[in-house]
Amino acid sequence: MDESALERYFDDSIANESDFLLGEELDLQSPPPPGKGPAPSRGVQVAEELDLSFLPDELSSRDEQSRHDNTADSQIVPLDVSQDSGISGDYNSQDATAESEQGPSMSGPGTGVSPFYPMTPMTPMTPMTPVTEKSGIIPQLQNIVSTVNLGCPLDLKFIALQARNAEYNPKRFAAVIMRIREPRTTTLIFSSGKMVCTGAKSEDQSRLAARKYARVVQKLGFPARFMDFKIQNMVASCDVCFPIRLEGLVLTHRQFSSYEPELFPGLIYRMVKPRIVLLIFVSGKVVLTGAKEREEIYEAFENIYPILRGFRKQ
Amino acid sequence: MSRSGLSCPGCGSSNIVDDDLYCQAQLVCVDCGSVVSEGALTNESVYVGASDVSYSRTTAGDKKPCMNLLKGRHHVIAMCRILRVNREIEDLSQTFYSRAYQHKSFIRVTLRKKEFLAGCCVLVSCRMRQWPVTIGTISCLLDADLVEVGAVYKEMVTVLNIEAPSFNIYDVIEAHSQEYKISLHVAEELAENHKDLTKRAVELVELAADTWVVTGRQPVPVIMAAIYLSWQSLKPNRHRLKLSLDKFCQLAKVKKQKPAAIRVTEMKEVLCKLGKEIPWLGETLTPDNVVCQVEDILKHRYALLRRALRAREEALLPESLASCEASPPRAPEVSDPNPAESPVERRKRSAEDKGSNWGARALFAPPCVVHAKRRRVEQPELRDVTGDEEISDSEIDSYIRTPREAREFAQMQNMFLE
Repeated sequence: MDESALERYFDDSIANESDFLLGEELDLQSPPPPGKGPAPSRGVQVAEELDLSFLPDELSSRDEQSRHDNTADSQIVPLDVSQDSGISGDYNSQDATAESEQGPSMSGPGTGVSPFYPMTPMTPMTPMTPVTEKSGIIPQLQNIVSTVNLGCPLDLKFIALQARNAEYNPKRFAAVIMRIREPRTTTLIFSSGKMVCTGAKSEDQSRLAARKYARVVQKLGFPARFMDFKIQNMVASCDVCFPIRLEGLVLTHRQFSSYEPELFPGLIYRMVKPRIVLLIFVSGKVVLTGAKEREEIYEAFENIYPILRGFRKQ
Repeated sequence: MSRSGLSCPGCGSSNIVDDDLYCQAQLVCVDCGSVVSEGALTNESVYVGASDVSYSRTTAGDKKPCMNLLKGRHHVIAMCRILRVNREIEDLSQTFYSRAYQHKSFIRVTLRKKEFLAGCCVLVSCRMRQWPVTIGTISCLLDADLVEVGAVYKEMVTVLNIEAPSFNIYDVIEAHSQEYKISLHVAEELAENHKDLTKRAVELVELAADTWVVTGRQPVPVIMAAIYLSWQSLKPNRHRLKLSLDKFCQLAKVKKQKPAAIRVTEMKEVLCKLGKEIPWLGETLTPDNVVCQVEDILKHRYALLRRALRAREEALLPESLASCEASPPRAPEVSDPNPAESPVERRKRSAEDKGSNWGARALFAPPCVVHAKRRRVEQPELRDVTGDEEISDSEIDSYIRTPREAREFAQMQNMFLE
């Protein structure tokens, strides 16, 4: 890379950098868009080494503020930093070799011209704070709903007569309601042979419970099998242990949230990715539902936690 | 439109007009107001003489617009006129109603639900044009349950893909305070003008919102409590202080909401906590005598809030230092590991770690946290289940009746059926 091309690159990045820093400033309340993540924190580190006296006071104080926010609230820029650190790192090494070829004369104008520039070929990069700073809270599963096909038509009256733990009221509902003690679950058994099992606290418990119900039906004389077991819904709950300003949250996340205190005391947040519905209450308790896999629940909670922290204040 | 040839049975006048009430045709005497005759709730007039083919099956090339759609539109206009909204909102609600009515989720629902839909269209238009109206008001107009109307409202907003602004309690306070009839026709000591009443009520609601009394709660009882306290504190003479919330609502001709009494207690608690920080006050404040100090408290509420929170921090400081000393013996260092973090942050973090009793430590916390319900302690995961374990026969047998049991059960069922 020749000198003029490098200088042109530096000039370009200065033009873009000011956007990055401004974006950081305005987006302090909410997570900044991914593309803009890495630059401010890098810029801040560089600022410690370089002389910023020629900059107007306002800019340097902004750096101070963003540095503070970075140390106190590093959650706000978690994933973004990791995504880009790799890329910058590569570029860095590339540039370092280019620099060393050119000799020390290059480094002067390079670093002097662009104080906010993310890459400092001469200074070693300090490692970033670990990107995945988790909340430390794990949502607990409260209920799993699953379905299974026993594969043969059933005589519900016969089952209700022969089984101790069954209730059947055809006028009210067209299915037998059966319960077992261990795992403590309830099931609805339909005459088509299909079954819905609810109340388990984990996927394996749900599967075990469904198998037990199938065994009971088998023992009663039906050729029951265990086909197409599928988890349909998982519900989990947890507590973030601080109060949440729901009115503020519904204003900033209008497209996802619905808060009607006249109808329901909690805020209903429909997350798009993963597709989960969260009920958020003023006490800090959060209920997550609509998941087919456990990971969706964990991912949804890790997504909402930084947003909720933004609304915790006194 | 006057009806000739008819005379009112009440006063004998012939001044009788068509005055439809929502979907019901009525003939009413203008002079004495009595209803001369009322039509059936269904309107058969259009279909008199029509064939037996139902509307949806007609093959006529030029279908007349659906009567229910027209009636619904009239209904929307009627509600807009009752609420006295401006022309813009009327037009907007009409467009929403026409769109929603034709949508597949609403075209085949019951007529009652279509009425709710009309109300919801008015509601969403009011919200979008910053005209304060609560769902409670709309459900009162429709004579329906709040929850049902709310369900239709949510469905409509999703179906029509409207981004309606969320509820804002401050918009509604003024409109609600107008309802309280305590400016005229009331004894001198008890009368109050609406402007002062509303102004103070707004301040009280702001304070309540800052101290977690409002979030997650029904707004109307909060407003009622604020208006009651505002009225009492504007002239805290013994007549006003003597009057309970029930009597106040009777006086103002407003229907009392049950949670309002609890809100009054909660607000008084907040006021007491702030009143404690007033430097020139000698006496201790209780919920009984705090009403007299409300004016001062509201005037300096932000300063008092800051003082109260700082006082709480200082009270908790020795406690947190003590817990820090229990850990590695670098106590003086602990208070200053992170200069960017304020003491409040640190205390909050330690409170967070404690988990369940963070509500008890904070000065102001949502009441549902402070008075947390005792939950039944769930048994921890007793076993790690794999889902593929062996299922013992004996366990399954315990769920099946013995033949004798089954016979007896069948006998008993037969006895009941006879």
